[in-house]
Amino acid sequence: MFTKKKLMFKVSLFILVFLLAGLVIGSLASAAPVGNSLGLTGKLGAAIAKAPVGTGTGQIDLNAAKGFLGIPGAPQINPVLAFLWAIWVGWIFTTVGAFGGIMAGVGHMTVFGLGDYTKAFKQTAPELNKVMTDTIRMSNQWLVGLSSAIGSLNYLRAKRLAWPLGLALGAGSLFGAVVIPIVTGGKISFSAYQGWFGVAVFVVGGFLLYETTPKGQAGKKAAKAASQAFEKSVKEKGDANDQGIKVTKWGVGRIEFSFFGVEFGFNPIIAFIGGVIIAAISSFLGVGGGFLYVPYLTSLVGLPMFVVAGTSALAVFSSMVMSIVSYLNFTGAAVDWALIGTELVGVFIGSMLGPRTQKYIPDIWLKRIFVVLALYVGLGYFSKGFFGTAWVPM
Amino acid sequence: MDWWISLDGLLIHLYRLTGLPVPDYFIGTFLLALITAIIGDFTTSLVYRANRGYYRKLNSRLGHLHEMSMVALHLKEKTSYKAVNREANDTFGLLFFSMFGMSAAYLWPAFFALAWMQTRFGEVRFPLLVGDWTVGFFFTFLVSYLLARVVFAQTKPYLPYFKHVVDDLNREDHHKIALEERTS
Repeated sequence: MFTKKKLMFKVSLFILVFLLAGLVIGSLASAAPVGNSLGLTGKLGAAIAKAPVGTGTGQIDLNAAKGFLGIPGAPQINPVLAFLWAIWVGWIFTTVGAFGGIMAGVGHMTVFGLGDYTKAFKQTAPELNKVMTDTIRMSNQWLVGLSSAIGSLNYLRAKRLAWPLGLALGAGSLFGAVVIPIVTGGKISFSAYQGWFGVAVFVVGGFLLYETTPKGQAGKKAAKAASQAFEKSVKEKGDANDQGIKVTKWGVGRIEFSFFGVEFGFNPIIAFIGGVIIAAISSFLGVGGGFLYVPYLTSLVGLPMFVVAGTSALAVFSSMVMSIVSYLNFTGAAVDWALIGTELVGVFIGSMLGPRTQKYIPDIWLKRIFVVLALYVGLGYFSKGFFGTAWVPM
Repeated sequence: MDWWISLDGLLIHLYRLTGLPVPDYFIGTFLLALITAIIGDFTTSLVYRANRGYYRKLNSRLGHLHEMSMVALHLKEKTSYKAVNREANDTFGLLFFSMFGMSAAYLWPAFFALAWMQTRFGEVRFPLLVGDWTVGFFFTFLVSYLLARVVFAQTKPYLPYFKHVVDDLNREDHHKIALEERTS
């Protein structure tokens, strides 16, 4: 029989449970912030000050040992792991090329645990999430951008630079490299960055995949055969001395110049826009400039390789440096100098191994391995970034 | 990750030469930058010597393909020019990325120097002459590093070991190599 006493008991129990739930949720939602920068400077310190204190996910455990960037409780990156992963990255640079930058990004995001740590602050400390994301983006750029220094300066010293094209492309790339950190700095969550990084990896994987297909292979073989046939048929040997670049026409819509007695022309506005887009992509992701400029210049102007080399080298190096400076100045992204130093050591050791192992692994099989890696990483990052869970184990 | 901190006792002596804090800071930073430049050049030479044959092979191929593409241009053979140029671009890509190791070898000591400087001089700021801006250890090290590179570049041809490195690196001009192979 239902009695008044039983009803009172049930109502009291409900109110008690409701109050307890409120207390628990309230304590989680309004965990006391750290309140000070913990000695960390700039935007990182300011973001840390606002992060909640605690031992749970997305909280700062003040009693934990200091990890990445000196943040208590942050991952303590094993220097041996960082060194070995960087050897892998350096090896890839000298065997496949561009994919090394992607692997450097994978190291920062997944292998060293920085991605998951950063992601944990998405709801609890969004500002810290975004500062850490900028730091990861910039870490990729330090490694990839600085690694292009010597190659770029060598081609600049050789003075094979189509300077009208270099100016237009360079101006665009500098613009892109400055604008992206300003516009996106402190605004991109790690999930969004990871998702877009996954998309970029898919695109690179797609290019690599095409090169391993019969059609891709046939195109390359045909070009090689034509090249070899031409070499054999050459009857007169051209003058190997460069005649330099001479501008013959200036215009907003078209610039023409001669090189080796042959006329070339391009639209400086298209070159500028191309520079903006390529630099913006590489600045946003932290990778990607090096392998995009050359095909762009080749398709835009059809210049001889030697001229493209110098021009693209100028754009790659200058845009990367400008992007790093912009991240430092405008986003407050922090730098783990020792991590970058350790990775650079690994890269140079890996680059010494690459030429020695090349003869044992056919180029086509290398590409196939990296196609699989690219599709796996791309799928995992795309799904984890945009949908919250990885569709492949990672 | 903090083995460089164990060098603190050694490195700080670079900053105690005159007894005057500000001049000592700049002199010490310059000396530190010079040390990193010397170590960086040494490790770059190791990478170059380890990969010299590979770079020469690629440079030689590049030079040869460049000459072929110029001949094709001169003869107005567009198809051949595109084919040879494509080969050249592929080879350039391989060479460009393979030189990443040399850059990494060139720069790694500077980053450990910066890691150490952050522990010692992380709070130090210098006002600029213009406006209210200030600069910290990174900017001062960067300027010192560029200066140290210039100084070292001038003295390198006269130093043992580095003299041979300079000679070797000068020969890396791919145009000269292509010509040598053509005429040999």
